[in-house]
Amino acid sequence: MASTKKLVVRDARLESHVPRVVGSQHWTPGRIARIATMLFVAAIFIFPMVGFVAMAFRDADNVAAGSDGFLGLGGMSWDNVMFSWSQVNGFGPGGGGLFTTWIGNSLIVSVGGAVLAVLGAIPAGYALSRLRFRFRRLVLIVTLVTMVIPNTVLVIPLFLEVSAINAVGELWPVVVIMGFYPFGVYLSYIHFMTTMPAELVEAARIDGLGEVAIFLQVATPISKQAVALVAFFAFVANWTNFFLPLALLSSNQQNKTVSIGLQELIGSSPLFNPTVAAGLDVKLYMPQLALATFLSMLPLLALFIGAQRFLMRGQTVGAVKG
Amino acid sequence: MTSSTIAPDRARPARSAGTAQPSRKHGQLHRSEARGAWTLLAPYSVLLLVAGIIPVVYALVTAMQTPPTPLNPTVSFGGVQSFITVVSDFRFLQTFINIFSVIIVWLPIMLLGIVGLALLVHASPGRFGGTMRFIYYIPGALAGIANFVLWVYLLNPAQSPIQGFLNAIGLDTIKAVVASPANLPVILAGMLFFQGVGTWIVIVNGGLNGIADEVLEAAAIDGANAWNLTWHIKLPMIRPWIGYAALMNLAYGFQLFLEPYLLDQVASNALPDQWSPNQLGYAFAFSNFNFPAAAAMSLILLVMTLAIGLLIVFRSGIFGEEER
Repeated sequence: MASTKKLVVRDARLESHVPRVVGSQHWTPGRIARIATMLFVAAIFIFPMVGFVAMAFRDADNVAAGSDGFLGLGGMSWDNVMFSWSQVNGFGPGGGGLFTTWIGNSLIVSVGGAVLAVLGAIPAGYALSRLRFRFRRLVLIVTLVTMVIPNTVLVIPLFLEVSAINAVGELWPVVVIMGFYPFGVYLSYIHFMTTMPAELVEAARIDGLGEVAIFLQVATPISKQAVALVAFFAFVANWTNFFLPLALLSSNQQNKTVSIGLQELIGSSPLFNPTVAAGLDVKLYMPQLALATFLSMLPLLALFIGAQRFLMRGQTVGAVKG
Repeated sequence: MTSSTIAPDRARPARSAGTAQPSRKHGQLHRSEARGAWTLLAPYSVLLLVAGIIPVVYALVTAMQTPPTPLNPTVSFGGVQSFITVVSDFRFLQTFINIFSVIIVWLPIMLLGIVGLALLVHASPGRFGGTMRFIYYIPGALAGIANFVLWVYLLNPAQSPIQGFLNAIGLDTIKAVVASPANLPVILAGMLFFQGVGTWIVIVNGGLNGIADEVLEAAAIDGANAWNLTWHIKLPMIRPWIGYAALMNLAYGFQLFLEPYLLDQVASNALPDQWSPNQLGYAFAFSNFNFPAAAAMSLILLVMTLAIGLLIVFRSGIFGEEER
């Protein structure tokens, strides 16, 4: 019977866990093969990224000619990157500046969406994990199912909805839609399941606190970890979202996010569209595209590297074993 | 509210708390608890309605209408006509064949990569394993369009670091690389693998770390070597995660949009404009302005991914027993 089984969440301490019986201490063929395989795969991951970032610091002619040595590292200079920036920043009508506008829009929708996601997810996760009410199971299942369905499937229905209220091209519907973040509810649900004993809720009730007061005074102070995780994952998902802004914001040049802005830069490159590019003041070759991409990803890369341990723990929470 | 309907919900928290409350005034307390719960759920419920349920219902209504035409600009009830329009479209079946051609190449590589690398990381204690895991994870930060631009750099024979290889197989322009139908599934598989594998390594690695040390130690005492441990203990124990990864990635494959959409752009429109189902839906909406057909297309995709989603939630064994 389902109700007699309780949800057990595995301890997901990654950093403190050192499996002692695996990994030989001697240089056996098995160990050498394991390390060599892992290093080889790591090289496949790293070389393209290094070459790509290096390209942002190179000269377009040298890039096209394939010179500058190994991964183009020999041709990097500050002058090149300043020139590339002048081209990227010069894109747009009346002297450019569109790129920074796009970055600003991305910040608005990503931060706004993440704030809404936190405001929705933290109380909902608490209620689902620690309160008893009718349809609790249904809400939980709907949340899980919407969490595992790829969100792009809903983009066209969302477009129809936003179009019905004549708000296509505006930022706020994008913020609201991004605020719906069922994975955040699940993270928060797991957080309260594992860190907040049910006795604590009972004790607060005996003290005469109402349900909402218990959440605000007892649960909220111990939810920092969940808030940070939900905010982080929501921000990353919003920043890299492409299809939703494409459908909702393409019609308004000033309200594009940087993900669909990059698409416009690609489409304006003489490499891929000589007709459009011929009419532009700026020339966007591979170094300029690489620089724009690198700049647009800088916030995420910084977050990833800064929050590494923390983040891996959160990813693991995303897959708990019952 | 009868006690039988709430019994399953009650049982778990009460048990985990270990405190039976026979003296509680059930009805009253439950009402205030339920009221509190719905108050706390209110913000999320509004978002769920606005960004989840209403658009689906509205899409259903739209799909049942006839598209406005210049001759007849009013909409009327069209029944399942728009579904017939979509399914009988000459591109409809082809978009799914295209998706499957990618999934067949990509999914096995992806699963092999996830499980293989997660096992290798798990067999590497200490800093080396942690560093490797992080390196595999970094491309996840480049998900989406950034990953795409990086792949343009890799695929354009003019400046690619694998220029020699591309030239050796007779490819001189990015158009030639992308436009060959046989290349596309491989290219897309590469793109999806690069941006996705790291996250899944971390997830499966978390599952591996959930295996009790005692189990591994006992097996080692019984004389199991690293290979035996992997094959007979670790792999069977992470089977739910492998199923979870397979289904999630399958669902992901159904919604491909960005990569084929942009590859077409850099290949001077050498690819079909409606290569994937999502692109076809997009074309119905934004090229033909046939919103009923676009809505019908998304609903078809939604039903397919919903089926996969239900499988994940109820059958993968990842989400607790009580969700079954």
